[in-house]
Parts: sequence; structure tokens; C-alpha cells
Amino acid sequence: MSQNQSPTRNKLAAQTAMRRMRPTTARGARYGVLGSVLFHGMILAAALFTFHRSFDTPEDSHVVPVDLVTIADVTNVAAQAPPTPEPEKMDTPPPALEAPPEPTMQEVEPAPEPPVPDFKIAKEKPVPVEKPRPTEKETAQDFNALLNKLTAPEKPVKTAKAGPRVIQGIGSGNLMTADIADALKSQIYRCWSPPTGAPDARDLIVDYDLGLNPDGTVGRLQLTPPTAAQAAGNAYTRAAAEAASRAIYQCQPYRLPPDRYNLWRQINPLRFDPRQMMGQ
Amino acid sequence: MKRFLVLFAALAALWTAPGLTPAWAALQVDVTQGNAQPLPIAIPDFVGGDPALGANVAGVVRADLERSGLFRPLDPKGFAEHITNINAVPNFGSWRSITAQGLVTGQVTQQPDGRLRVDFRLWDVFGESQMLGLQFFTTPENWRRIAHMVSDAIYERITGEKGYFDTRIVFISESGPATKRVKRLAIMDEDGANPIFLTRGDYMVLTPRFNPTAQMIAYMSYIGSKPRVYLFDIETGRQEVLGNFPNMTFSPRFSPDGNQVALTLETAGNSDIYVMDLRSRAIRRLTSDPAIDTAPSFSPDGKQIVFESDRGGGQQIYVMNVDGSGQRRISFGQGANGTPVWSPRGDLIAFTRRVGGNFTIGVMRADGSGERLISSGGHDEGPTWAPNGRVLMYGREAPGQRGSSIWSVDVTGRNERRVLTPGSASDPAWSPLIQ
Repeated sequence: MSQNQSPTRNKLAAQTAMRRMRPTTARGARYGVLGSVLFHGMILAAALFTFHRSFDTPEDSHVVPVDLVTIADVTNVAAQAPPTPEPEKMDTPPPALEAPPEPTMQEVEPAPEPPVPDFKIAKEKPVPVEKPRPTEKETAQDFNALLNKLTAPEKPVKTAKAGPRVIQGIGSGNLMTADIADALKSQIYRCWSPPTGAPDARDLIVDYDLGLNPDGTVGRLQLTPPTAAQAAGNAYTRAAAEAASRAIYQCQPYRLPPDRYNLWRQINPLRFDPRQMMGQ
Repeated sequence: MKRFLVLFAALAALWTAPGLTPAWAALQVDVTQGNAQPLPIAIPDFVGGDPALGANVAGVVRADLERSGLFRPLDPKGFAEHITNINAVPNFGSWRSITAQGLVTGQVTQQPDGRLRVDFRLWDVFGESQMLGLQFFTTPENWRRIAHMVSDAIYERITGEKGYFDTRIVFISESGPATKRVKRLAIMDEDGANPIFLTRGDYMVLTPRFNPTAQMIAYMSYIGSKPRVYLFDIETGRQEVLGNFPNMTFSPRFSPDGNQVALTLETAGNSDIYVMDLRSRAIRRLTSDPAIDTAPSFSPDGKQIVFESDRGGGQQIYVMNVDGSGQRRISFGQGANGTPVWSPRGDLIAFTRRVGGNFTIGVMRADGSGERLISSGGHDEGPTWAPNGRVLMYGREAPGQRGSSIWSVDVTGRNERRVLTPGSASDPAWSPLIQ
């Protein structure tokens, strides 16, 4: 049908198109310049933002965790019948069973407060214990992070300042950081034992806000507010959150490129998502 | 002009849209793979006036937690710190150095009135804080139960669900040659301790089931060659026949409130499911199909009953409302599916699948989806749930061997292991937590 349009109609269409291309007034030109400035300004502004999730690198395509496995003493594989240490032979007909006297149970007084760890006292002379010492330069900042952890601040501590202007658009899921995210994942996964037997275990996703020291040790760790709220009301979420926390501590220090510390000093959210493990 | 305003508005909207964050935001990492491992936990012998008792209590706790497959109690020989006072904060560094992630310190003391007092604390070794502290009082002969209660408390604090160590198992103890097998009702603690026979073995007993207070057992027996459902009161040893039905009754199961028993009544070659009210002894018929309907099991909310039926040709699993309405089939897997048992947690139904001569335990969601087979013996039958819905026990008939045995497996299919029983045993039923 469209091929058989009349010549008159084609001519009309051509005229309309011409009219559109031609600036009609001088006012139009002024708006054009203004518009152009505005438009470019907005493009520049937009470049400072990245998409939170939708531009994620293909999920897990980078992680190929390879591990040498040693054979453990205890396996999880179906047990063979153990050589039966037979319990004592039972006596024939039973005496009527007596219900054992009921034990009673009550809360113990709370344990004494843990003695203040050294690094807290050492306000004047910071001497952190046990954990590998960070560099001199970073000590003060770390020390604050630890203090903050101890005093459980209500608001997230902002140890991660806005990095240097990241013109390259460095953010989450970007290729620039994907290798760091993968490196962290491959170091943390082996320590993570999620509660796979809980009801709806695949929904037990927990998010942490993790601040790392330059030496790769954990500086500050707290649940994100949504996860914290869930964990407060649900024992399974709390168990999942604690399992993730144990993983984070157990696998530290993390080996990440020191020259790019700015990119991994804060990880938020550090998400533990068991859906793939659960066969989703 | 209007166009620019629109464009501007669109950009503004994008700016505020969720999912957009400043480019200098923190790194985001999704950990999607894990490594299911039992939790390494250190449980030194409990301190107190009687070192042997302290060692016994800690030993029971270690064995309980190890059996669950979710914990790996560390060998006390490797402990660097010697706990002498449970009210002092442990040296967490020394426990971290032996890879412990949890630490339990406890104390057993004799009270002036002769009772035992057991205190314990569970410590988070990484977080360097106390996760739990409890205290129990009991008579000295009750120390094993206290140890199980300590295990239950630790299990619950770490996993988020109730424990199951302070429970008992009722089962059928088998002895004698295959041709003249003696089957007796027996009961033991969850860890196999304190086994006791409840019946003499003069007549055959089958399918024992606990009531919700763990004080009463319903079972089927052939007293006088007539198979009928009986009730057994554990405290008094008293037995009674449940309802004087003219015909055979079998496969009893208590309702979650303990006031009713669902069972199968056979009349003129047809088996149907009935519910009896234990107070009024009134009975209600729930199925009236010409096929065999049997093996009823209540949902934990008491509103539904799962059962098996061969009304569709083969033996399959069905669900109905507790008044008998809304009967529908939920199992569609291969082979025959039977002996359904609703999880106390409500999320799953355990069953036995038969394909050819192969019997396997499986679980499916209550709507029939998500079916998984979790036992590996090939001759496994008759599942029963731990009260927390996390672990299953079942009977295994080993072909070519004499006798049968009881096995347990985690609902994930891990940690399958044999339950120690005195001699051959079958048909286990797990009690609720002892009240």
C-alpha cells in the first residue's frame, strides 16, 4: 500500500520534512545553543553515575574457584555402618518408667563484660594486638574503625570517603572492579557455610557493610540496616548473618591489589546469596 | 522549550531512580558459592567438684553436636587454654589458633540440697562475645538429660532452629530367626542411651507413634491374632485397645494437639481413614473410596492430612482437609509413593518411594513440588521426623543380611549414618522434645 502513494502525497511529505529541518526563527537558534549547553551538561552529570545492578558483569563468569582438596578425617558422605559398639543389653520386661524429675532452667547472669581489648586502652599509644599491623600511616584510621565496631555506632561509619573523582566511571560491577570483586569472592567462598537446611534457606540472603584495612584485615563489619532489621526478628536470618560473619573473619586477611586500595576499602553490600548453592 | 523540560524531567527521574548510585560508591560483591562445612567448636570438659562428671557432661554434648553433622567438636588434646573458671573471659586468640569458631565453657556443681547445677556459656570466638549463657538444676541421675538440653541450646543458638537431642526414639526391636522373629516395642534416648523394652514380645507389634507430650504411644499389635491399634502409657505401662472396632485397625497417628488419632479401618476388604476423638471416643470417617486409603499424617497446624491411596491405580500420596474435603493427589514421581509424614516444621512431606525392589526415602514440599530423594540404602522405609523438622530416621532392611537397622539423615541428604540400637531394630518413631 505505501508503495502506491500518490505523487501529490509524496510531494506534501517532502515539503513537511523540509520545513522541519529549516530553523524558522532566530529565537529557535537561541534555544538551540541553550539546549545544547543544558543537554551536554546533563550528559556530563549522568557520567558521574552508574547503574547499581543492571550493568553487573555477567554473574560469576569470572569466578572459577579451583581448590586443592585434602581428604578430611570425617566425611559427609553416607556413612557405612560403623563397627557396632553394641550398647548394653537391655533387661527384659521393663519396670514402669518413671518420668525423670523435671530439670529447671533459667538464664545465667550475663558474663562479665569482656576486658577492654588492648587497642581500646591504647588511645595514647595505639598497639593493636593479634591482628597483623597495618602500616603506620593507616593506624589511626584503623584504630577508629575498631573503636567504632566496639561501640556499635548507630550510623554506618564513613571510613570510605568519596574516592578521587572517578572519571572512568569506576563503580560496582564495572570491569575495572570486577577482578577485585572476583578475587574477594574466591577468597571468601571457601569459608562460607550457609545454613542450607533451614526452611526457605534460599531466601536467607544477608548483606554486610565491610570496611577493609590496607593489609586486607577486617576493619569494620556491620549488617546493612535492612538485614539487621530482618535478623532482629528472625532466628534463621540471624543464624545466616552470623555464618556469613564467621566466613568474613575466618578468611581474612584478603589478598587484593594494594595499589587499588581505594576500590576495595569499603564493600557494601557484601552480599551472601545462597540461591545458586540451593539449586536455584 | 517544552521538549527540554521533558528531557530535564526524565533525567531528574533517572537520577532519583533506585538502582542508580554515585559512581564512587563502595564496591559491591555477591558471594554466591559456599562450602558447607560443620562448625569447628571447642567444648572443654566442664569444670567443678567432680571432674569425671564434668567430663561426662561435656562428652555427651560433644557427641550430640557431632552427630548432627553441623558441628565439628575439636579434640580437647589440642586445647591451648585450660579453662578453670567459666566466669572469666577466655583468651579468644588461643582458641582461634586451633581454628575453633565457637567455644563452650561449663561447670557442674553439687548444690547443698543434693541437686546438680550445670552452667554453661557459648562464646563467639571471632566476635569475642558471649552468645548464650544458661543454668540448669536437676537431680544427679538426670545428668544426661541436662547434657542434651545444653546441646539443644547450643544448636538452637547457632542454627536458628530448635534442637532435638533431648528426645527419645520408640522402635521395634527384633530378635530371633527370620522365620520366628520376635518383635518388641522398645524405647531409648535419641543418642541410643537407656534402651528399655516396653512389651514382652508375646505378640507382634508394628508402627509405634508418639503423642505430642511423648508420654503415650499408639501402635498396632496382633494380640489374639487380631491386628488392632493400642495405646501405651509410658509412665504407667498401661495398654488399652483404641476403640472396639469389629475389624482390623492400623497405621495410627496422633493429631498435633494430641486429642485425636487418625487411623485406618478395614471393612470388607476396603481400607479407609477415620479420626477418633480420644476424649469422646467418637469416630469420623474421612475417606470412602473403594481403593485402599491409609497412612494418614496430620499437618502441624492440624488442618490437613496427608495419606496414601491407590485410587489412581498405583500407590500415591494425597492431601485432604481434616474434615475429609478437598482430596487431591500431590505425588507424581515415578514408582509407588507411600508412608507420607508431614514435617513438624510444615514445609516438607517425607515419604517412601518404591521403584521395582528399591525403597528410598524422599522429601517433597507440601504441594508436591521440589521432590528430592535423600537416603541411599535402597531398602529404606518408614521415615519419621525429628521434632525440629531437620533430620529424619527410617528403617533399613539389608538384603541378604539378618536383621534390620535404623538410620538417620539430614533433610539436605547429608550426614546419613546408622543409629546404634541393641540388636536389630526397625520402624522408628521420633518423640517431640521432652517436656
